[in-house]
Amino acid sequence: MLRHLYLILLRLHPVGFRQRFGDEMLSIFEQEQDNFAASHLLLDGLFSLTRQWALRPEFWREVPISHAETPAPEGVPLFVSLDPFHPRYAAVIYGTLLSIALFCSTCFAIRYSWIRILHLHIPQVQFDQPQRTIARSETATPSPSRSVSPIGEKKSTPVSSAVSLQQPTAVQPLATNQPAAQEVGPPSMEVPFNLDKSSRETAAFALPGKFVASVPSPTVNVPLDAYARKRVIDGAISNLKWYYIDPVVAGKMAAALRSHEQAGDDNEATDGKAFAALLTTQLRAVSHDRHIQVNYSQSVIPAHVPGPSLEEIARYQREMDRTNCTLEAVTILPQNVGYLKLNSFPDLQLCQGKVAAAMSSLNQADAIIFDLRENHGGVPGMVAFLASYLFDHPTHLESFYTRYQNSTLQSWTLSPVDENRLAHKPAFVLTSAETFSGGEEFAYDLKMLKRATLVGETTAGGAHMVRRRRIDDHFSIGVPDTGPINPVSNTNWEGIGVTPDVAVEAANALKIAQSLAEKALQK
Amino acid sequence: MKEDFEHFLPLSPATLHILLSLSGEDLHGYGIMQEIARQSQGKYKLGPGTLYDNLQKLIQREWVEELGHRPADDDPRRRYYRLTADGRGVLSAETARLADVVREARARLQKTEVARRRA
Repeated sequence: MLRHLYLILLRLHPVGFRQRFGDEMLSIFEQEQDNFAASHLLLDGLFSLTRQWALRPEFWREVPISHAETPAPEGVPLFVSLDPFHPRYAAVIYGTLLSIALFCSTCFAIRYSWIRILHLHIPQVQFDQPQRTIARSETATPSPSRSVSPIGEKKSTPVSSAVSLQQPTAVQPLATNQPAAQEVGPPSMEVPFNLDKSSRETAAFALPGKFVASVPSPTVNVPLDAYARKRVIDGAISNLKWYYIDPVVAGKMAAALRSHEQAGDDNEATDGKAFAALLTTQLRAVSHDRHIQVNYSQSVIPAHVPGPSLEEIARYQREMDRTNCTLEAVTILPQNVGYLKLNSFPDLQLCQGKVAAAMSSLNQADAIIFDLRENHGGVPGMVAFLASYLFDHPTHLESFYTRYQNSTLQSWTLSPVDENRLAHKPAFVLTSAETFSGGEEFAYDLKMLKRATLVGETTAGGAHMVRRRRIDDHFSIGVPDTGPINPVSNTNWEGIGVTPDVAVEAANALKIAQSLAEKALQK
Repeated sequence: MKEDFEHFLPLSPATLHILLSLSGEDLHGYGIMQEIARQSQGKYKLGPGTLYDNLQKLIQREWVEELGHRPADDDPRRRYYRLTADGRGVLSAETARLADVVREARARLQKTEVARRRA
């Protein structure tokens, strides 16, 4: 009876312990019953059971090597083999938990860690469609306003030269007075900085026929009825409420669209282009956000937008080649003042070499002037890249906040740049009322950091970043969903513009900046 | 070698007695229990549960190894254990430590005895 009880206790032991010592313990139990009280042995067995399960997890699954299982008689050759390895259950569970924790922490680190901050390619991370590019329509016709050079020095480059697209890009607006037929970018197309300005709304960016597909437009020339208009308005409101950077303004815009609809203001717009332009006007009247844009496409906008076609990329590359990456002028002015006129902040991958070469040619200058009077934006990566030459250490330029993702990404300079001698030289940025978006960011960042003197006019006041979203087969809306938060001012220049340190007419800005540079160098 | 074992010291009484019992010859579990009883003149008795728990640890630390053979006429359930070089080393280290303790204790006790007599 007692032996049976002891046997049960032994069988309750972990398998490794039981297989290794169970038989011998039982034999001891049988032999020691005379010396030990049976209760003492049972108690010892119970303690052993508790100890093995509570304190010895490392031995739970340990299986003794086979020779220990079957000791051979002395002198008999023995072949030893190992049992297949079986991890403990606990080890498997711990391993699983550890793997999950490691995976989560890796994801977290990628999302938030300093590595990401130092990585600096914010546009590439933020807008994970690095190949997207939009090319300017070959048929685009510059608006009359484009023929007037705001600085009176040189004819401005074509609108397209002001367009830079890193990945996604461009945006082009359908203006209320837009005469030319246009096709719009696909929904969800992302635009780091809108290059659009209301004054140049005739610039058109067309997707190639291949991209817009060969689907014939079923609604061309078909007048919009009230139901179709309501569907577009519903879609626009839904996108604005969900994605627009400022929910309060989004609510106001939604209310405005509804009130215009109910008042019958839209009834005249029976044409798609006209209706898109009307909605854009209504939205901008409330928000004063020039990045907002409702577009109409005669061709069907695909539901799932692939990246840009090779043709689009090639077209953008040709445009950048033709305009030298929108580097309109790179020269040394009298008194050894470097001068760089950049009309956009183009795609970093495509134009980094040319911009670096331009900066390198100005490396020996005693002061530098960045002419952004015709700069209409581009990608934040290029802004940070160019600003890198003005600092000798990594410098935080902006934080980009995306409301619907509740996420913030930081933009830092890549300083120090090898062999760069401009980090502490006097710097001037020329601005005009035309300077927009990315161009404004460059000026604003340097102003906040007190690294450059801004000369010229208050800029246009567009800080947001746009992502194009599909409403239906023919309508899409560019919704600004991301806005910069400057680390110094904790705000941005949206709707206000960047005010210059020295306010002069844009046309005179270069002359004034030159004299300021010369004065600075004489000190 | 002695320094290598110092962080294992002092040994628990069970470990010390098991190592000590195996220092003379290879023994099976029951033999170890008997040897311990003999060495301690019956004052220290180790139950099988405690014995094998300790043996398990000592085998893992490679202070004791299990032999793959036994005398042909022995009980087939028995396993034989042998002290390894490391086991002998740790036993030596513990013995030296205990010797120091005993010497110190004796010296102190003698001083106390002398002082009391003078008083």
